[in-house]
Amino acid sequence: MLTLNHVTKYYGKNLANDDISFQVDSGQIAILLGPNGAGKSTIIKCIAGLLRFQGEISIGGYGNKTTEAKRLLAYIPETPAVYDMLTVAEHLEFVRRAYRIEDDGYGEALLERFELSDKKDKLGRDLSKGMQQKLSICCGLVHRPKLLIFDEPMVGLDPHAIKELKTLFREQKDQGAALLISTHMIDSVEDYWDVTHIMVQGRFAATQYNHPEELKTRSLEDLFFAVTEGGGQP
Amino acid sequence: MSSLVYLTLTRLKNNIRDLFHKPSRLIYVVVLAALLIVSLWGSRQPLPLSESYRDLTELAAMATALFLFIFLYAVWNGFSKGGAVFSLSDVNLIFPAPIHRNRALFYGLFRQISVTLLVGLVLFYQYSWLHNLYGLSLGTMALIFLCYVAAVFLGQVTAMTIYTFTSSSERAQRTLKAVVVFLLLLIVLWLGRGFLSSPENRLAGLVGAAVSLPVQLFPVGGWLGWTFSSCLGLGPWWPGLLLCLVWFLGLIFLLTHFDRDWYEDVLRTAELAQSAIAAKKEGTMEAAPTKVRVGATGLKSGWGASAFYYKHKIENRRGGYFLLPPLTLIFAAVLIAYSLFMRETGILTVFAFSVYLQLFTAGQSRINRELYKPFLYLVPESSFSKLLHCLRELAPSALAEAVVVFVPVGLILGLGPLSILVCLFARMTYALLFQSGNLLLERFWSGASKVLIMLLYFLILILLTLPGILIAIFLTVFLSLPGGATTGLLVAGIVNIPVALLLLYLLRNMLQYAEYTR
Repeated sequence: MLTLNHVTKYYGKNLANDDISFQVDSGQIAILLGPNGAGKSTIIKCIAGLLRFQGEISIGGYGNKTTEAKRLLAYIPETPAVYDMLTVAEHLEFVRRAYRIEDDGYGEALLERFELSDKKDKLGRDLSKGMQQKLSICCGLVHRPKLLIFDEPMVGLDPHAIKELKTLFREQKDQGAALLISTHMIDSVEDYWDVTHIMVQGRFAATQYNHPEELKTRSLEDLFFAVTEGGGQP
Repeated sequence: MSSLVYLTLTRLKNNIRDLFHKPSRLIYVVVLAALLIVSLWGSRQPLPLSESYRDLTELAAMATALFLFIFLYAVWNGFSKGGAVFSLSDVNLIFPAPIHRNRALFYGLFRQISVTLLVGLVLFYQYSWLHNLYGLSLGTMALIFLCYVAAVFLGQVTAMTIYTFTSSSERAQRTLKAVVVFLLLLIVLWLGRGFLSSPENRLAGLVGAAVSLPVQLFPVGGWLGWTFSSCLGLGPWWPGLLLCLVWFLGLIFLLTHFDRDWYEDVLRTAELAQSAIAAKKEGTMEAAPTKVRVGATGLKSGWGASAFYYKHKIENRRGGYFLLPPLTLIFAAVLIAYSLFMRETGILTVFAFSVYLQLFTAGQSRINRELYKPFLYLVPESSFSKLLHCLRELAPSALAEAVVVFVPVGLILGLGPLSILVCLFARMTYALLFQSGNLLLERFWSGASKVLIMLLYFLILILLTLPGILIAIFLTVFLSLPGGATTGLLVAGIVNIPVALLLLYLLRNMLQYAEYTR
């Protein structure tokens, strides 16, 4: 579903991503794990078509900046993307109309699921940061994307929303969607992932597949610290 | 060295050092300084005969209005937010430290004075036209600056005192608000009386009322106006100054001797100011009224890219008054007042000033805010289609803005209906032109530093206006096209349209290539 070939991104003279290549298949959850400033958000923004880059990124076989690719994609940013002057319900209506999706009640169900139903007539600016993040997630999901990319999705969420989001990850995977999740919190990853890429200084420093027998000998956390702090061989 | 002195000096030192580490910021400061020098130096021509100047009482009235507005604005904010004397880092680091509350207060006040001094320097850019119109000397200009600083400073201290003493009592706030509104109403009635009582020269009547004792007795703004008037030879200098001094000492006494724990009140203000700064950096801030009437909900229409247009309609309805954001309305009021004083000079001066002010509001359109959100880039529609639908809202809001400004201005200047229509048309074309300039900036320099963007912004927008202005001058002056200023504005407006459309066409794929750096 998602393929990156030799993607490099510079901000001026600063190298943010260096020759990144990987893919995420349908029904797979990939994690981008790394310390702050490792280049996770940059690569995610490149995939979402928000930044210029060198290399190739394709979504469902289409170039990531084509309308066909955009139709398949959901991007949930780290800072909630919410309009101050729209109500919660209007956010979902706007995204649905912009993506040319008829109203089949899915948006309403998402609001119910993330406990926003009673807030649907509230303006975006009147929501707390956590509620804005939940709304941002609902906006990303309402057009039923095939590739979902989340940038630090757990930040600011309450325990109920975190639990609901993790359940949603598994459901989306079961339904055949591809998911790419960036995080710097190892604890939040748990066991639902298929592959984890550990990023350091804009590069992939290690890749770990979710094979229980491998993880028995060395956990993801051990690998992470081995890679980022040099405490052992990656 | 005391910790607060150290903090003040280190902040100052780091700010200066930062200037040399960021070339764009240094260039910005140098350009601003150069403009200031040019503005001051350019006005050092020999003064013509004093008979050619306008009445100095008008200047005193304008200055009094400015001081009153600045003071009342700060005080009104004080009811809900308090004065923004401290930053959040001050609150987090100084308040829990073993530093006496009064020392912390004086540190905050000192810091506020320095910020106000810097902001107030903008006033000196007005020196050139004030000098030419009123024969204003540099010393008198400096006095306006000092009175302005005093108005902001005393306004902030008053706001802080009001908030500290009334934040826990809604009733006290309501009473005090009612007193302020009542006093303001009396002033408005007094000014209205002056305006109506001189049918042969209404402006003189209004100005006379503005520099009379009832206005000069209004706290702080009026007192400062009084002090300034005296320097123009319009009365004694000491009463206004003395009243300001007594007011300041009274506020300090209230804050320091009534053992009010104002830390809590300041904390809330600092948090609000900090979140506003963060929102501004992220581009998420909406300059909207504090209380928003949600009204009817739902987009009701829009499919694909056109959903942006219907979304903007809702946002405009909720985010302003009569389709216009608050700043635009303030500028409209300024322009109307300006036209009262510039009746003899004709429409061109007022129109040029309106275009100058438009430079500051042009970035407020919906598409500019939309570029700060990811949806515009993510929605699976063609870039050009999304741009065009985002620009649709420009027509009604630009028309509303033009009507609010140029219908009253036209009536004041005694223009005919055709001339007013030409002004509306020309104003709208400048809105389109400036919008395309904004997009050009976003396309190529969206990731640049704020200072560089600001410099480029003014440069690009000024360059874009040149074709229209030059062709208008060529046709009306050199080819002597009839119709004078009205024809000139019509020509400039007509030329602006193809310039703007060409630029938009060249930028049609910008959403594919622009960098979303927020």
